[in-house]
Amino acid sequence: MMRKAALGVALAATALTASACGQGVLGGDSKKDKGPILLGMDIPLSGSSADIGPYMKNGAQMAIDEINAKGGVNGRKLQLRAEDDACDPKTAVAAANKLVAAGVAVSVGGYCSGATLPTLPVFDRRKIPMIIPAANSTELVDQKLKHVFFVNGTGDQQAVAAMTWMTKSGAKKVALLHDNTSYSKDIAVRTAAELDKPGGPDKAALDAVNPGESDYSANVTNLLRSKPDFVYWTGYYQEGGLILRQLRQAGYKGKFMVADGSVDAKLVKIAGGSAGEGAYATMTQTPDTIQGAENWIATYKQKFGADPGPYSTQSYDAVRAAAEAIKKAGGTDGDKLVTALEGINGLQLFSGPLKFTDRHTLTSGGFVILVVKNGKFVLQDALK
Amino acid sequence: MSQLIWNGLFVGSFYALVALGYSMVYGIIKLLNFAHGDLYMLGAFSGFAMLGAMGGLVRSSSLVALFVVLILTMVATGLSGVVIERVAYRPLRGAPRLSLLITAVGASFALEYGTRIVAGPNPKVYQVRLDGTALHVLGALITWQQLALMAVSIVLMVALNLLITRTRQGRAMRAIAQDPKACLLMGIDVDKVISRTFFIGSALAGAAGVMAGGYYGKIDFLMGFIIGLKAFTAAVIGGIGNIPGTMLGGLLLGLLESFGTHFVGGQWRDVFAFAFLILFLTVRPTGLLGERVTERV
Repeated sequence: MMRKAALGVALAATALTASACGQGVLGGDSKKDKGPILLGMDIPLSGSSADIGPYMKNGAQMAIDEINAKGGVNGRKLQLRAEDDACDPKTAVAAANKLVAAGVAVSVGGYCSGATLPTLPVFDRRKIPMIIPAANSTELVDQKLKHVFFVNGTGDQQAVAAMTWMTKSGAKKVALLHDNTSYSKDIAVRTAAELDKPGGPDKAALDAVNPGESDYSANVTNLLRSKPDFVYWTGYYQEGGLILRQLRQAGYKGKFMVADGSVDAKLVKIAGGSAGEGAYATMTQTPDTIQGAENWIATYKQKFGADPGPYSTQSYDAVRAAAEAIKKAGGTDGDKLVTALEGINGLQLFSGPLKFTDRHTLTSGGFVILVVKNGKFVLQDALK
Repeated sequence: MSQLIWNGLFVGSFYALVALGYSMVYGIIKLLNFAHGDLYMLGAFSGFAMLGAMGGLVRSSSLVALFVVLILTMVATGLSGVVIERVAYRPLRGAPRLSLLITAVGASFALEYGTRIVAGPNPKVYQVRLDGTALHVLGALITWQQLALMAVSIVLMVALNLLITRTRQGRAMRAIAQDPKACLLMGIDVDKVISRTFFIGSALAGAAGVMAGGYYGKIDFLMGFIIGLKAFTAAVIGGIGNIPGTMLGGLLLGLLESFGTHFVGGQWRDVFAFAFLILFLTVRPTGLLGERVTERV
């Protein structure tokens, strides 16, 4: 990755200079009380997870339009500013610096945990609250930063959900496979810890692959040595599809489950034909698995001419939580916003009424189990 | 064990096919063509576009379609290679080595992000998938598709070797590798031969791209990056500039990765592969079969 690294460093350097200049010229508060309130969003619009970005951006935009139609917040309109983080740590830091320089009041982005992690201090240092709609590695939570909040279930909650389903579906030996990114490794390691506890299925293997390649036959052969009857892939869908296909080609007949980063119809397409059918997924609720979201989906479709996807609803909710906090705090002062966010009790989100825990996460992760039927992810078990 | 060997040989034949282009170009004009991995990507995408254009025809006879597309793509990527050489490398032929290297990186970026603009950032799934039943050979699981792809790679490599060792064209290439100035004096059209070299190398990469598309199914605009690095590694291990050495290097790298994954775990696969690159660059920079001293970049 040497070329990308060089480019990233150059970008980061430029962004740093830009942000430094920005603060000098604007002189602090001049931007804060006039004009629209900016909400920033670091999301992947290019790179390996590029198709998630628009889902999140549209979801956030939808919430902003609704709030603006009702007169905005405290008499000021909201405005979204999205920057591409390419799911790459260095690009993400540059993008975060751009957002800070633009004077965003709240950040409502963050998809890839590995890319989001280095942006946390960028926002936290300037006391800009982050309401992260998707990135959910426990590593992010463990930073214990004052200004960082999560409206998606976290890695440990997902691991518990995965364990519940493995037990319920009668798995005996579970092999875990991750891609060494913060998000993926977190879930795999935490699931491994769950499996190591007495009772329930046992851990057959815990292994990792390098993302971005095509041939995983060596990894697959290695994994199958432990003779698992359940494989849990915790990375993203591009590799997920290839691994599922190559597992089946290598004669694996057992169950296959993916984590929320792999929930995408492309997973099934890449796996090809029948290989994808019957694959499970641990997932927070998506628009099509939420009951009563039909109107919301219809509005979304009408507005953007496309179906909502993973994290459209969470991004929508992140913006609404931000707006609620700005209203309660009576302004965009970072510390007041944090107090306001911590004070929110019962704001109705797609995942249920919002009340942040003292770790700034959701009280319940709201993970459900999906299954692939006819090439699409549908609800299998709500784990209630 | 036999499964490990087979996995390694199969992946290795892809590496070898891509590495040949690297090696040929390096052997003749001492240029590390960093855009080479992206020609592999370009091959995969042009195959995807052709299969899309053929539409209904594809479904009725998918293997034949894939073969036709393979040939057409080889021509298309070959010509792209010639164009890149003409536009980006030829004007700099007398320039310092470093300028050429930077231009090559630039050409690589241009191909990657140009493809992204045309085809979009999202991965694509090939219309034709090589699905098939597996055979058990000596304890290893082998599919007919793998055998067919291996056969195509081997045929291409043997044909290339014959071309270089037995034809006038090949003799001209070898002569230029030794001394381009003397070749000019002897009446060899150096520019033309270099163009042809780029054509052949790029066509091989394009063929590998289509085969990867048909076999693995997923293509995206950055897919050439890692395989480009791996091919470079393979070329260095085998002896960059040396054709049989490069083939050997590709297969060896595939085997190294396969056994590395088995003994030290999947996450160490690339560490293992690139550690060997460093090892070879320090201990034996000429590679296994190379004779000339490799320029380190």
